[in-house]
Amino acid sequence: MMRGIWDREMVAVMLLVACLPLAGFWLAYGGTEALVRLVLVVLVLVVWHLVFLLARAQPPSLVAGITALAIAMLAPEDLGVFRLTLGISFGAVVGELIFGGWGRNVVNPATVALSFLGFGFPGFGWPEFVAPVAWAAIPAALIGIAAGVMPAGVLLSAVLALAAGFWAGALSVTMVQVAGIVLVLLVADPVTSAATTLGRWLNGPLFAGLVTLFALHWTGAAPVQMAVAAALLTSLTAPLLDEAALSLWLAKRRRRHGRT
Amino acid sequence: MTLLRFDPGLTLPVPTTFTGAPEPEVVLTEEAGVRAPLGQSLRVTPLVAEDDLVAQGAPVACLRDAPEIRFVAPMPGRVARIGLKPGRKLTEIVLFREVGGDVLRHPTDEAGSEPGLRRLMQASGLWPWLRRRPFGGMPNGEERPAAIVVMAADTRPLAPDPRLALAGREAGFARGLDALTLLTDGPVFVVAQSGPPLLEAVASGGRIREVPCGARHPLGLAGLRIHDLCPAGLDVPVWDIHAEDVAALGELLTTGVLPMTRLVSVAGEALREGRLVRTQVGADLRGLTQRVLKPGAHRLLSGSPIDGHAAHWLAPRHRQVSALPRKDAPGKQHWLISALTRSASPKPIIPTAALSQAFGAALPAVAFVRALSAGDDDMAMKLGVLSLLEEDIALADYVLGGEAHLALLLRGMLDRIRKEYAA
Repeated sequence: MMRGIWDREMVAVMLLVACLPLAGFWLAYGGTEALVRLVLVVLVLVVWHLVFLLARAQPPSLVAGITALAIAMLAPEDLGVFRLTLGISFGAVVGELIFGGWGRNVVNPATVALSFLGFGFPGFGWPEFVAPVAWAAIPAALIGIAAGVMPAGVLLSAVLALAAGFWAGALSVTMVQVAGIVLVLLVADPVTSAATTLGRWLNGPLFAGLVTLFALHWTGAAPVQMAVAAALLTSLTAPLLDEAALSLWLAKRRRRHGRT
Repeated sequence: MTLLRFDPGLTLPVPTTFTGAPEPEVVLTEEAGVRAPLGQSLRVTPLVAEDDLVAQGAPVACLRDAPEIRFVAPMPGRVARIGLKPGRKLTEIVLFREVGGDVLRHPTDEAGSEPGLRRLMQASGLWPWLRRRPFGGMPNGEERPAAIVVMAADTRPLAPDPRLALAGREAGFARGLDALTLLTDGPVFVVAQSGPPLLEAVASGGRIREVPCGARHPLGLAGLRIHDLCPAGLDVPVWDIHAEDVAALGELLTTGVLPMTRLVSVAGEALREGRLVRTQVGADLRGLTQRVLKPGAHRLLSGSPIDGHAAHWLAPRHRQVSALPRKDAPGKQHWLISALTRSASPKPIIPTAALSQAFGAALPAVAFVRALSAGDDDMAMKLGVLSLLEEDIALADYVLGGEAHLALLLRGMLDRIRKEYAA
């Protein structure tokens, strides 16, 4: 019989391809410092993937590249090697590897690592992005949607909700730009975002709503910090959104057919 | 509005080798095999002996527990071999064709009543062409379905167009549909793609309804249509039958002879050219392909390239023969790599747009696949697993690269549910 191509690693490769514009612009504007940071994150992740490969026969995944990019781009600055390594290790192990690797995890490992670094070392400043890097999130999202590896419902509904927030004056341009980057790198993860159609269309506005809420009421927080916190809460809520969507779907069928 | 409509499903990149006019030629193979319907292991009593001469339509075996349900010879011939597994389970009964042999005619006087129609369908060999859900296989002789779905659409790659199979047989189709209404108190759905209406000639309106169907796969699969129109349940059986078989039923009622040829597409990458043929049920796949095969190793499948299985004879309900190049088995992995990676199988499933479309947007695909992988029978039943069979999730298996083994998981789950609820 013939076989298709969408196994786990092909999805990981397409996600990497989708994120190339973002990575390219960020490296171009970040220079050597950004590259060193990315290499460090990749190294730490590779070590942990190897440890789990040897200890639990758990095959590594190329998606570690996306995790590395997200952590390198969004982690607080000037943390130093030790703190950064600690945060990456916590995120990769507790967020992904102990669940059985990518595809079986509940939250995005990069989101866990960034939240850990944010809560654990609050004194360090969060990064800021120049406009071209933020704009590069658009082709990344488009490639992800076109290849079918990023949930279109999540991305489109989040963009609409962010646009509404911006139009209402609740979100600044910087906040929208940062939310766009976090949306592509963390929220649009096909594994940890909602998996039902309705759930996805709720997932995006929930992220945008949380970003708006934090922007309005969380004084003193950096845009990246707010967006990462919103991504963490959205990720934790995704199963609830799916459950609600499934219950609605089942109720609709029961009404129509008298059974499911 | 048409411009804005988006049909769910996928268009598969299956290379086609069809050339020339779609006018089918009649090709009867010299050998044919009588097999049990897919997914069933049936205990039978042979009604013939090896080397017996049989007429077309003559019974060659019957079920041990229901002798009124018979398997018949698809062509006049000589019985070459009767293959039974331990427990007298049917594997195959092989026939050699005898040119100019007899054709058995069945009395149709009592077919106007439901018991008479059932007897005729069971005695003529048409009963195994019906398929029930849940669990698959042919229905038992007394079962009364909640609905019957007639498939006049087939979206599998390289499948023959059922409308072409019905061309010139409209009267038989209408009579067959009318007859089907005797077997159920519920509706008879005719699933068809866009084209001229199929129900013009049908007299009994109301219970027979034409249902439109999209052009992409898997929208033309019976399981997903049943899931949408009338979901099957443990006490709610639903049958499906191909439209060409309904036309054959109509002609059986008119003439007393069950037509034993059907429209079959013979296609695939391993052929020089694909073609449409009218051939007998249980035709020899080598006989259908030997003149058009490309040189080199190949595999012959009964069924489509994505849900077919390697076989010698055309399966009872199949209308496709796929010839695919035989690829060399992948080289053996180094023992260390195997040891390090094999324990993580089955590999996790990543939700993608392709996976959602592989179920034609008929159900929450990711939740269903997760329930299947986790063996969550209750959730899977809520999501509609009882309406589905292996062929309905073959596209999802294809999309996922065959690593998820969804068809095996589905069969395991259906068998488990059947055992639990039978106890």
